[in-house]
Amino acid sequence: MTLLLGSWTIGLILALLALGVFISFRIFSFADLTADGSLTLGAAVAAALIARGYNPWLATSLAVVAGSLAGGLSGLLQTRFQINGLLSGILVATALYSVNLHVMGRSNVPLLDARTVNSDLQGVVQKVSGKVESVQLLGSSVRVSDLVNLGAILLLVCLTAWLLHLFFKTSLGTAMRATGDNPRMIRALGVDVGRMITLGLMMSNGLVALSGAMLAQYQGFADVQMGIGMVVLGLASVILGQALVGRGGIGLSICGAIMGSLLFRLMIALALRAGLDPNDLKLITAVFVLLALVLPRAFQLRVKPAPAGRL
Amino acid sequence: MATLEVRGLYKTFFPGTPDEVRALRGLDFSIEPGSFVVVIGTNGSGKSTTLNAVAGTFLADAGSITLAGHNITRWPEHRRARFIGRVFQDPLAGTSPTLSIAENFALASQRGQPRRLGLAVTRRRIAEFREHVRPLGMRLEDRLDNPIGSLSGGQRQALTLLMATFRKPELLLLDEHTAALDPRSAEQVIRLTDEIVRSQQLTTMMVTHSMAHAASLGDRLVMVHQGRLILDVTGAEKRRLRPHDLLEKFEELRRSDQLDETAAQLIRASYV
Repeated sequence: MTLLLGSWTIGLILALLALGVFISFRIFSFADLTADGSLTLGAAVAAALIARGYNPWLATSLAVVAGSLAGGLSGLLQTRFQINGLLSGILVATALYSVNLHVMGRSNVPLLDARTVNSDLQGVVQKVSGKVESVQLLGSSVRVSDLVNLGAILLLVCLTAWLLHLFFKTSLGTAMRATGDNPRMIRALGVDVGRMITLGLMMSNGLVALSGAMLAQYQGFADVQMGIGMVVLGLASVILGQALVGRGGIGLSICGAIMGSLLFRLMIALALRAGLDPNDLKLITAVFVLLALVLPRAFQLRVKPAPAGRL
Repeated sequence: MATLEVRGLYKTFFPGTPDEVRALRGLDFSIEPGSFVVVIGTNGSGKSTTLNAVAGTFLADAGSITLAGHNITRWPEHRRARFIGRVFQDPLAGTSPTLSIAENFALASQRGQPRRLGLAVTRRRIAEFREHVRPLGMRLEDRLDNPIGSLSGGQRQALTLLMATFRKPELLLLDEHTAALDPRSAEQVIRLTDEIVRSQQLTTMMVTHSMAHAASLGDRLVMVHQGRLILDVTGAEKRRLRPHDLLEKFEELRRSDQLDETAAQLIRASYV
């Protein structure tokens, strides 16, 4: 049960990452590699501030701001200076590695006894419920702190998803979706495509940084390496989510990304329990994304040969 | 005052390379408010380039463009959209496929306006969009929630035309907007075009390859050749034009081009 709660909590924290990747990958149809750097940036900013005694809520908010600035930079490189989207992401992520080291001052910042968003919430719950350490749930004993962590992140993810859904229904959000769908059309309707992409990447990396900040506070440390492979992990969740809900409306797709993240985390937890070498995790994630990208195309080729179309 | 004034416009693509194309070479014309101008010309004559220059797809090398009293010569494409409605040749180019019909209309209803955080599609606006597509007779009014990508090319092009004119544009640019449709859809879209342009008295430029449409539509006809206007017909003379008159013009052009070519060869043979 604890394993399940733990994997769900991490799954939900990484669902924020998946929502960020969803914006770049599903709305704009390219993989924004900035996320590898901005996840660590979010963790680094939050951890560094919390370790110095800042209010954890303020630290988390500043982490989001830092992430969106990184995304904005990536967007400017891409739209203003016409640098390929993959390359601008790599450039910013690489630069962020050094920035993150500077922010943290060393490669790892522990948050063991620090006041975090999680510890704040646990304090509130304890005040209300008295000094209950654990409760019985479905026949097994569960620590209240684990439940609080899960409930808090669940609330945060639901709120974020709802706001994101609402945003994509506004005039601005609809224009952003159309920007990824058909840039030529939306330009002819008077929308500055470059600005739309930059704004989208700011939102995307803000969410990714939020994910990083929550992850650091949940696991009790920030590490300069923690962002490696996160884009691929986010892609895996988004693709898995797509497979779960199909190509529906925007709201369904957002739910799909969250469900994908949860399911993927659960699969990993089960695989690890069955004896999978943790060192192989990134390899397996990458292979999973590769298969998810290749298989549908392979099937299509078999059904009908690619038309000898013009280019 | 003219709605559109184009003065001495020059554009060379890929200058200094073997692919160099001198697409516009001193383009000069103006269009009066409410005028419906048909633009014809051979392949590569510069007629689509003319429309793109006005729309802002690229910036001209020299010359000026004034639209609705604003000097828009250096304006980026998205800023010009405030005044310009456009329909492209590719019927898939003018709509956003994964968005619903209603969402596409919502985007078009704010052409050139700042996009804010109000709801894009409200119940009141759905009613408005519904009344707008009903006259098409395509039963789209009951399918406003469907993604536009599920419609046929003809339906999408008809919707693109409605979207381009939803907010009355100062200038409507139609770039061979029926060329990629099947004959029946093409006729339908042409009829719709004529109706909308007449009823709203839109200032319009329409590029076409169809001599029948060129002869029957519009109140003015211009022919572009080698990046310049070489023919400009209005009024009674335009009304008298028949498709075969236009074909004759093309034939004339071909002959004079050939003449130029042989003359050039002659010179090359004797001097180089």
